[in-house]
Amino acid sequence: MGVAFVRGPLRAILTAGVFVSAFSGMAAAQTASSAEDARAIEFGKEIYKTKARCQFCHKWDGSGDQGYGGNALSLRVTQLTPDQVATTVKCGRPATEMPYHDKFAYTDKRCYGMTAADAGDSKPQIGNEFLQAREIDAVVAYLFARVVGKGPATYEDCLDFWGKDTQQCEPMKK
Amino acid sequence: MSSLRLGAKIAAAALLTTTLGAARAADMTFERALNADKEPQNWLLHHKNFQGHRYSQLKDINADTVKNLRLVQMMALGGLASGGRYENGNLEATPIVDDGMMYVPNGWGEVYALDLTSGRKVVTKWKMDPGIDRAWAGDVACCGVNNRGVALWKDKVISISLDGRMFAINRATGEVVWERKIAEPAVGETITAAPLILRDLAITGSAGGEFGIRGWIDATDLNTGKQVWRTYTIPGKGEPGNETWKDGKDRWQHGGASIWVTATYDAQADTFYQGIGNAGPDYDPEYRPGDNKWAASVLAMTPTDGKIKWGFQYTPNDPYDFDEISEHPIIDVNVGGATRKLVTHAARNGFYYSLDAVNGSFVGGRAYVDKLTWSKGLDPKTGKPLEYDPSLDVQPYVVNSHATRANPKGALKCPMTSGGKNWEPAAYNPELNTMYVPSAEGCNMLEGKQQADFVDQGGTAKPRDRFTGGSANYPTNEPIYGGLAALDPVTGETKAKIKLTYPNWSGVLATAGGLVFTGHMDGEITAYDAKTLKEMWSFNVGCGIMAPPITYAINGKQYLAVLSGPHWLRPKPEALKDQAACSMLNVFTL
Ligand code: HEC
Repeated sequence: MGVAFVRGPLRAILTAGVFVSAFSGMAAAQTASSAEDARAIEFGKEIYKTKARCQFCHKWDGSGDQGYGGNALSLRVTQLTPDQVATTVKCGRPATEMPYHDKFAYTDKRCYGMTAADAGDSKPQIGNEFLQAREIDAVVAYLFARVVGKGPATYEDCLDFWGKDTQQCEPMKK
Repeated sequence: MSSLRLGAKIAAAALLTTTLGAARAADMTFERALNADKEPQNWLLHHKNFQGHRYSQLKDINADTVKNLRLVQMMALGGLASGGRYENGNLEATPIVDDGMMYVPNGWGEVYALDLTSGRKVVTKWKMDPGIDRAWAGDVACCGVNNRGVALWKDKVISISLDGRMFAINRATGEVVWERKIAEPAVGETITAAPLILRDLAITGSAGGEFGIRGWIDATDLNTGKQVWRTYTIPGKGEPGNETWKDGKDRWQHGGASIWVTATYDAQADTFYQGIGNAGPDYDPEYRPGDNKWAASVLAMTPTDGKIKWGFQYTPNDPYDFDEISEHPIIDVNVGGATRKLVTHAARNGFYYSLDAVNGSFVGGRAYVDKLTWSKGLDPKTGKPLEYDPSLDVQPYVVNSHATRANPKGALKCPMTSGGKNWEPAAYNPELNTMYVPSAEGCNMLEGKQQADFVDQGGTAKPRDRFTGGSANYPTNEPIYGGLAALDPVTGETKAKIKLTYPNWSGVLATAGGLVFTGHMDGEITAYDAKTLKEMWSFNVGCGIMAPPITYAINGKQYLAVLSGPHWLRPKPEALKDQAACSMLNVFTL
């Protein structure tokens, strides 16, 4: 799948750097679009946390984990582009524990040009819940806004993820 | 009606309820617990009796009548909130029933006292919500948000919560009389096992074998809510067994060996038998050379002081996460002309074992799963896997059946990481002298990753981090299904066995009606003939079952009850991919 997969809020984020300066006169439009971006990021966070259960395997901060969900890689240091991350979420990663989230993955050749028969034993497992394109965009938007390339997670990152009504972030308090 | 007359009516009704209540709810004494089988109308103890039989003498529901079983009562038990790594709590509890009242927790430890006497609508007498910090506790639960049950003591209900607390609750009102913080989530400890109550002591232990804990078993004085003793399941420096951690780096301090299922108890010897969990880190045995006692073992212990009488280790230097926490039914049987007391166990490693209750020596055992490939069998004298070599620090077992540092990708091995039989309880029919063992059938493979040292040992692994030295992986096309086996309880010989569509996470109930019951992940609850395991009746409650069925009687009428509230750790079978969460009590009668 090409860049076309990256739509809506995600595209807004990716291109924000360019467009914000170019259209700085359009303050109203910009506010509207950043509000939309913020919503997408929060929506994506919730999917990462609960619906798709990405955190079960990658840990809440995306730093990667082990145990019962494969040796899941760190999303904080991933070299993948947003587009590649979206493909990974949609299609999973063959022969690893990274599951797919596009309901129709491997029913045709949309994923890596492979059907289930082509993939055989290396076909990934089904994700916890299937995700629509809008949801995948949101997860990717969340990851690139808060996780990818951001260095080790901070106390503030923790509060952002878990909220303030839990002890979760106490161990990270300096 | 005038308000005065209404007032009088209310007062009269209240009086009536109180008197009835007082007459009904006999205090739970140790005497009653020892004789639980003499009250077949009640389900007083977690495993039905102290011996762990899950066998009911009730027989109105039997091979002839079971076809008439119908659903008569339902009740939503909640506890579906998300927390930590999990999107909802699920139901794994065995309810307790005394005189028409049921006491049952949901996954988040919210305890319900339910009046079932109408035989129709379930009336909630009270509910106690422990108010858990769900993110904090749920982030260090290895495998879901659960609570396997409560216990009765005198006029109290004793419950536990995932965040490591124990509660004494006024049985009449639901008021918390005291609570005690027992386990510490800050170091990865949680509690999910129903407490075992022996005299005035509540015995429980810590889960957390995937989070670098050092397991323990702990007794609380129920009169005071204070600790009486705590015994570590991994012996400390200078204690016998500590020498089986040969690393020289004090790996025993984070070696796992957790507790998360209620022990069985033999009154004659005043001894309880506690199954002990996997060694940690799970999949990097080179991190912890040696046999790693008492991980993957059973311990025979004295309730008054927590002293270990003997231990038997099933999988020394366990490299598979063969977490032997599950129950150890105690049976009195004739072996070669003499009556012997045996402690039995359908192990997660795929073998069934019977051990001498007095000294833990191996009596019999063999594989009960369809496929067992990590070992060629048990040594008939010692009960150890044939490949076990005490002179080795790290056990290879069947070559490449687990991860090693030189070869981190293990081959396909069976049973899979979750078992075999996991926590879901077996049942024993003493009349037929048959053990019913539910199972998950299938294979998976392990992928090692050298475990980083713990921070307090100079490394980077922090408390609450997963401390597993790799991962359990599941190839997609490998068939995963379930089994129900009827075994000779001494030798483990299979008398009958059927395949189930899904791995079994429900456990078994056996009855004098010549039936065994179990639930399934697609929501079926099924009765089988006790001898042939032929299906006799089945009903679908519309939502996956991963809790043990029980039976009891109210006003002489026999009921069957089971909770439905599924959770798939993973992998979820294709056929159930759209299964939703739920949290229901389902009650059947003729
Ligand atoms: C069942 C566990 C599991 C779940 C759930 C899961 N992942 Fe993964 N993920 C993995 C594993 C294991 C890998 C490593 C695959 C490999 O070895 O290449 C991985 C790899 C990835 C990668 C590739 C990283 C890279 O640098 O190559 C991305 C991106 C990713 N996951 C994102 C997600 C997102 C987003 C979600 C939720 C929508 C998610 N994962 C859910 C287990 C999981």
